[in-house]
Amino acid sequence: MSNKGIVVFANNNDKIDYVKQCVDLAKRAKKYLNLPVSIITDCADYVKTAYDISVFDQIISINPRLDSDVRRFKDGTLAEHRSQFKNNKRACVYNLSPYDETIVTDSDVVICNDHFKYAFDSDEDFLIYDDSTDLSIYRTQEEFEYISETSVKFYWATVFFFRKTEKNKMFFELVDHIETNFSHYCKVYQLRTNYFRNDFGFSIAIHIMNGFQEGDFAHKMPGRLFHILDTDLLQSMKNEHLVFLLEKEDYLGEYTLAETKDLNVHVMNKFSLMRELDKEPIND
Amino acid sequence: MDERLEKALEFSNYMVTFNNKKRLLKEKFETDLLYYVRGSQFTITKELITFVGFLVDKGNTTDVVLTDDNDYPIRISDLEDFYDEIIDRYFSAANEYLNEYEALKLNRSVESIVDYE
Repeated sequence: MSNKGIVVFANNNDKIDYVKQCVDLAKRAKKYLNLPVSIITDCADYVKTAYDISVFDQIISINPRLDSDVRRFKDGTLAEHRSQFKNNKRACVYNLSPYDETIVTDSDVVICNDHFKYAFDSDEDFLIYDDSTDLSIYRTQEEFEYISETSVKFYWATVFFFRKTEKNKMFFELVDHIETNFSHYCKVYQLRTNYFRNDFGFSIAIHIMNGFQEGDFAHKMPGRLFHILDTDLLQSMKNEHLVFLLEKEDYLGEYTLAETKDLNVHVMNKFSLMRELDKEPIND
Repeated sequence: MDERLEKALEFSNYMVTFNNKKRLLKEKFETDLLYYVRGSQFTITKELITFVGFLVDKGNTTDVVLTDDNDYPIRISDLEDFYDEIIDRYFSAANEYLNEYEALKLNRSVESIVDYE
């Protein structure tokens, strides 16, 4: 029988403590999915000294990247911070995951139900979301349908499932190759950015694995994924009940209240997530 | 500000929050209608319920092939069990949806629409 688990990345920068998000995610994974969580991090010593490491199955140390990009992180519509963005080298998860069957998730996904666990029952070896539902009512989803206006279908590298197979090994090696040669792939796939995003790397790799067309390499993750943007705010988080402030259309700095229950939400505003986590003693 | 304008803006704000909550209740309902069988995902729709009910009525109850949300075939060994399960789940989700929606309709302010301390 193969072993199963969740892997999450945490590469801290001077503004965001991803490890703290991982600790909460590990607790939620235990509660809703009953799965072990391993953390891949460039700050293993910090994990061991600052947090109760019993929430993690394994702590896997990687070397810190020195060539990370500096990016803008928004905190609602009116505030922003600049800091390093080290959310790359995700392709190494194939070799680093201690599990035969792995769910990889961003640390800012708030798990509120058990749908992810059905991925392990699937006959398919690679599952990923090709859509995510915006909690805001008015925003268009165009930027999340295709990686650019003239390019290929968009896939969310936020949450995905894979088994260790030769085909998947090839896929992750391809993602690594795309990341290494990203400026070339930006031209080929007509992207308007030079910043590597896992979503772009995965979307391009899936397109190539499918024979440069849409196809069956990637299958859909079970359940649904919801998201807020970094211009929205997570306002409260109690078990499965989350409350948000969603930016209003055309009224900068004004928000609409919204709430979810039992839905998995990708909280792109990491600062508001951090503030909510700060309200509770994380080692309890 | 003119009092009439202030009231209109307050109502406008209420309606935005109300409509968003209504939409999210529907999203929750649709998420609750997902049913998993041996790695296959089915969205429990009225069409699925009617089709499965029709097959059961016609005596097709064992080893019936259905297609899931991704249009992949799956063999259902006991279709009566499958039918009972989707009916239970549908009405459980629908009742919760109704209760939440009825409660929402009674709320007349932004503060009461969202359960926020």
